[in-house]
Amino acid sequence: MISFFTHIINGALTGLLYALVAMGFSIIYRSGKVFNFAQGEMVLVGAFLVWSFGMALELPLWLSVLLALGISMALGLLIERFVLRPLIGEELFALVMVTIGLLIFIRGAILVIWGAEIRFFPAIIPMQAIIIGPFVLDRALVYGAGLTIVIALLVSRFFNRTRMGLEMTAVAEDHQIALSLGLTVKRSIALSWVVSGVLSTLAAIIFLNGRGMSFMASDIGFAALPVALLAGLESIGGLVIAGLIVGVCIGVAAFFLDPIFQGGVATVFPFIIMIIILLIRPSGLFGWKTIDKV
Amino acid sequence: MTLPGSVFSETYSQDQAYIRTRPQWLGLVALLTGLFLFPLFGNEGLTGILIVAGIMVISVVGLQITTGYSGQINLGQSAFMGVGAFICGALALHLDFPFWIAIPLGGVAAALFGSIFGIAAVRIKGFYMALTTIAAQYIFSFVMLKLPKEWFGQSAGLKLEPASFGDFSFDTDMRMYYLILVVAIIMVYGAWNLVRSKAGRALVAIRDNDNAAEIIGIDVTTYKMVAFLIGGFYAGIAGGLWAYYIRYIQVDQFTLFLSVWYVGMLIVGGMGSILGAIIGTFVIRILQEIVTHMGPQLADALPQVGGHIVFASMNMLLGAVIILFVIFEPRGLVHRWNIIKESFRIWPFPH
Repeated sequence: MISFFTHIINGALTGLLYALVAMGFSIIYRSGKVFNFAQGEMVLVGAFLVWSFGMALELPLWLSVLLALGISMALGLLIERFVLRPLIGEELFALVMVTIGLLIFIRGAILVIWGAEIRFFPAIIPMQAIIIGPFVLDRALVYGAGLTIVIALLVSRFFNRTRMGLEMTAVAEDHQIALSLGLTVKRSIALSWVVSGVLSTLAAIIFLNGRGMSFMASDIGFAALPVALLAGLESIGGLVIAGLIVGVCIGVAAFFLDPIFQGGVATVFPFIIMIIILLIRPSGLFGWKTIDKV
Repeated sequence: MTLPGSVFSETYSQDQAYIRTRPQWLGLVALLTGLFLFPLFGNEGLTGILIVAGIMVISVVGLQITTGYSGQINLGQSAFMGVGAFICGALALHLDFPFWIAIPLGGVAAALFGSIFGIAAVRIKGFYMALTTIAAQYIFSFVMLKLPKEWFGQSAGLKLEPASFGDFSFDTDMRMYYLILVVAIIMVYGAWNLVRSKAGRALVAIRDNDNAAEIIGIDVTTYKMVAFLIGGFYAGIAGGLWAYYIRYIQVDQFTLFLSVWYVGMLIVGGMGSILGAIIGTFVIRILQEIVTHMGPQLADALPQVGGHIVFASMNMLLGAVIILFVIFEPRGLVHRWNIIKESFRIWPFPH
């Protein structure tokens, strides 16, 4: 029984981590209608930047996190300027393929710059577990869950209350109308890439805190997709709920199915959830409109 | 498409013909003769490269029909190929089916697997479709690794005997080359005819606007399934040939990465053109071979990357090629080729 609840709680915490990664997707999707398949790679770049400054150059950890945040913001800006801006208004296939191209390219670049061996990510959050009653919880995941909820509240407040956020929401709804209202679509999209860069680095810290990492860690980008889909791609607050649902489902599935399949269910289950969502309710729980279908 | 001077169509079938002039016939015959004579004179390494390219051409032509002609993004082509390879391998290994039954049955199995995603495509479009096919890729490798070991060998994979026809066995590269060449010619010929048939025109109509296609009386649901069915069948045949060429199949040979390569080949060659699929496959294969051959020099230049240098530079190459073509040459090399051809035909006039 204890182990069942541990699975559920850990699932929920992991789900919230996925929600943080998914927030990066959703913010980019809202502004430019671009589905950024390279999100997992952006997480990985953030992680390797922190590692480079913190472990290889031995700078203080707070400084290396700040530097990594700065560089990933710049990277987001560069990608937007040179890869996605030329494609504004292009057909969907081009947008999908260009972010997949980015995914593959960044993965290659990571291998060339940092190599393929396993590195140890600095323990920015203390490693000792949090023990509540019978449950032993990963401290980084618990802090990360709190951080995700706070960030989700802040970001959805930003989009719904501040002038700039409302402008970005208007851009998200329709580029043409936003332009005719005198809003700058380009600035809005660029800003979304910057924010997404920051969020991916934060997610990297929580995900990899004190663990070994290699270029394979970027799979979290795909694992987070069902959370974004369930929330409905445009909704930021909904990501928290979707993250909890998906996380708990994965935890429960892993608890019951792992003994049958000899493990590995937690890695494939997000994709099964994804297909179920796509078939039953492709617009997600809190999405804006139904998906174009025939 | 402009035609050479003094070539006119008097009937519909003339208008639809791909080969219109004597030089075109001569070119085709020369190409086919060259392909058939190649292994007799070419070296073994090149024959091997052409074999793999031939298998990929079949797979990419299938993807061209799903993605290029009917507009359904498919990032699961290598999983479909894997289904074909494994079914074909299991039939040959466990039930002693001869290769000329096992390969088509593998194709049918892959077509059925593909059409499951055709059902999904009825409800969803665009990148949602891309997501579904990515999920197919992950589910394929999970299922293959979890099914009973007696079926598909789990992570150990399957080992095959060479394909044989009575006493004649396709056990050398040269013999496999001819088998694959013949199958590839049949498949490409089939694709070329398919895309100008009623079904082909229906697929193009769905790609261009599926609501409009529905209104003019095309059964969108069926044809979206058909698109995946055909694409899956091509992938399955390619997978079966792959199984008999490598004679060892394992889940890790059919990755999402490979599916992205196939889409990359389409983009480089040009969407919506069978010729484009072939050109793209060959251009990308040549680039891949160049990178592989440069591997040792690259490893010297970048020692920190170690043994992964070829994989890493392949990644960067593929990513860069996709990004650059999508941004600067979205219609692919076949478009450039057509422009060159036309400029020659109308020379010395500008229009």
